[in-house]
Amino acid sequence: MMHDPRDPKLVPPTLVEAVRALRDRTDRGYVFVRQDGSERFCSFRDLGIEAERRAADLYARGLKKGDRLAIAVPDPDEFVLSFVGAVMGGIVPVPISPQLSFKNIEGYHDTVAHIVNASGASLLLTTPATRQYVEPIVPRAPQLRGLVTVDELAKDTPAGSKVDVTIEPTDLAFLQFTSGSTSRPKGVMVTHRNLAWNSESFMIHGLAKDSSFDKGVTWLPLFHDMGLIGFLIGTLFTDIPVVFMPTASFVRNPRLWLDKIHQHRGTITYAPNFAYGLVTKRLKDKDVAELDLSCLRRAGCGAEPIQAKTLREFAAKLAPAKFDPKAFLPSYGMAEATLAITFVPYDTGVRSDVIMKKDLESGSAVPAPSADAEGSQELVNCGSPFPEHEIAIVDENGNRLGDRQVGQIITRGPSITAGYFGEPELTAEAWKPGPDGKIWLYTGDLGYTVDGELFICGRLKDMIIIRGRNFYPNDLEWVISELPGVRRGNVVAFGVDVDGEEQLVIAAEAFQSDAEALKKTIAEAINSNFSLSTHEVVIVPQGTLPRTSSGKPQRRKTRQMYLDGTLARARVVQGQEGKAEDAGLSA
Amino acid sequence: MPRSRSELLDVFRATATEVAEKDFGSVGESTAIAELGIDSLGMLEIIGSLERELRIQIPDECLAGIVTVKDLLNAVESRQSMAS
Repeated sequence: MMHDPRDPKLVPPTLVEAVRALRDRTDRGYVFVRQDGSERFCSFRDLGIEAERRAADLYARGLKKGDRLAIAVPDPDEFVLSFVGAVMGGIVPVPISPQLSFKNIEGYHDTVAHIVNASGASLLLTTPATRQYVEPIVPRAPQLRGLVTVDELAKDTPAGSKVDVTIEPTDLAFLQFTSGSTSRPKGVMVTHRNLAWNSESFMIHGLAKDSSFDKGVTWLPLFHDMGLIGFLIGTLFTDIPVVFMPTASFVRNPRLWLDKIHQHRGTITYAPNFAYGLVTKRLKDKDVAELDLSCLRRAGCGAEPIQAKTLREFAAKLAPAKFDPKAFLPSYGMAEATLAITFVPYDTGVRSDVIMKKDLESGSAVPAPSADAEGSQELVNCGSPFPEHEIAIVDENGNRLGDRQVGQIITRGPSITAGYFGEPELTAEAWKPGPDGKIWLYTGDLGYTVDGELFICGRLKDMIIIRGRNFYPNDLEWVISELPGVRRGNVVAFGVDVDGEEQLVIAAEAFQSDAEALKKTIAEAINSNFSLSTHEVVIVPQGTLPRTSSGKPQRRKTRQMYLDGTLARARVVQGQEGKAEDAGLSA
Repeated sequence: MPRSRSELLDVFRATATEVAEKDFGSVGESTAIAELGIDSLGMLEIIGSLERELRIQIPDECLAGIVTVKDLLNAVESRQSMAS
């Protein structure tokens, strides 16, 4: 077959061809760890056969190429077989986060109904156990033909069935609903060509995969791009076995992640910063003594701001288990770019840049005189873009900025997706001409480059500007998260207009009984770290702050709740006094 | 050996205190999980600890309906009786 120059050279042009290329792999494939600890092996050959059969079953139910299938399936094995099944028939899967929380179900129903309707899904696939949590949305989705469970899907169609349909690289492979921290989920349109390019980029150029011995180990949720593309799609394109564990099993027992790497001799893993911190905190020295992690050669980190301190502490704790700190691979990416945008070169580990916070606030990343200088901040190097891809830093007017100038990160290349499904206006806001007149993806993230390598400072739109100084909410939230009595991810910092001037508000989830003392501690910490006064600290009951499907607080929505009084009411319901106008903490 | 209801509450208090590093000594059965000041990730960690301590397994699909400490102890108790 002739190679189309628009396709990558080192991987098949579509996911369908990638799966079919693995049809003789009877001894390689995926291991699925179940909640009870048992393991199910599924060879790539069996995966392909079962996926083709599920595609045929979906066609028998009236679906055809281009139709959307919403998938709310928590079990990794059933998710994988159904997701790949839809793709083999050209049906567009739409992964949805399964419900697992200890608060009201209404918010979950709203999210599921929104995604099902925004994607125009014709069928909703779930499991017998999860059915009760998604079924109530069926009457709210008029275009939905029905709901089906995975056990029904596997019943009547004989093995060996397949559908005869041609899948082109330009065809839509799936819709990735983003858990963007700023607004309701939008469906990113990911084509086969996007997947092929990004898989080649991160698996081959980024990780330098070696199919003769590499093996992935992951607990990342499969409804999210990092788990889905990083470990399912990327490994199918490049013939890499993977051990999948349920996300909930990792959270229940964080050491299980490292146990599985040890047991299966995993070489590649990936996680957000917090997971490395959680393991460091929970692992006992006697656990470490039982581990041999010398096999692990790539430990990726991404999806949220990376803290060098967290990774250093992990490396120190796991040193007796022969963890190699050079395995750390900080990276940057987003669903709109399929997944990965920049990687550090492998085997370089965590490198960072220590800059002066004061200068960052006025737009330049000036190196600090020393690593522990007063008012300095350490940012982790996230590396450079892949071949055929570019990044640039631009100012508000779209002009390209030089090294160490802070601006919006923009990117272009064959991994960049076509936009948001059914949302032309939102697409046009982010896919716009760049300094060279070509279309770039405007990421909404702020950063700077040094010799082509990228450092991330925060989100553009959530930036708080007080008296001409720019504050990145991530930084304020990180400092507060370190305080006793506050848990990571339970803090939101945002700016509000007070008499024509922007002022800082902090909303934190904590015990009501501790509220007054905690307000004071938070305001003091902000003051001592940033020389910044806090207009108001709002302490709310757990579960009040709105979150994305991946659990990140939604800053803009929190700000809206503060402005319309919803946050204040959350305190009243709780039966505590906590006066909304009690803003006397301005330091 | 299944534990009594009051022993289970004590185990929950001790486990929650250890995982969340806060004092939960006065938490009662009627307390809502949301009032504990623990996020869903932290709560799942506590449940994992309880499962190991009591040698039981609570399936994920049973977790979504848990709103109060009482609901959680009910789930634990029913698993205990299945295991014994």
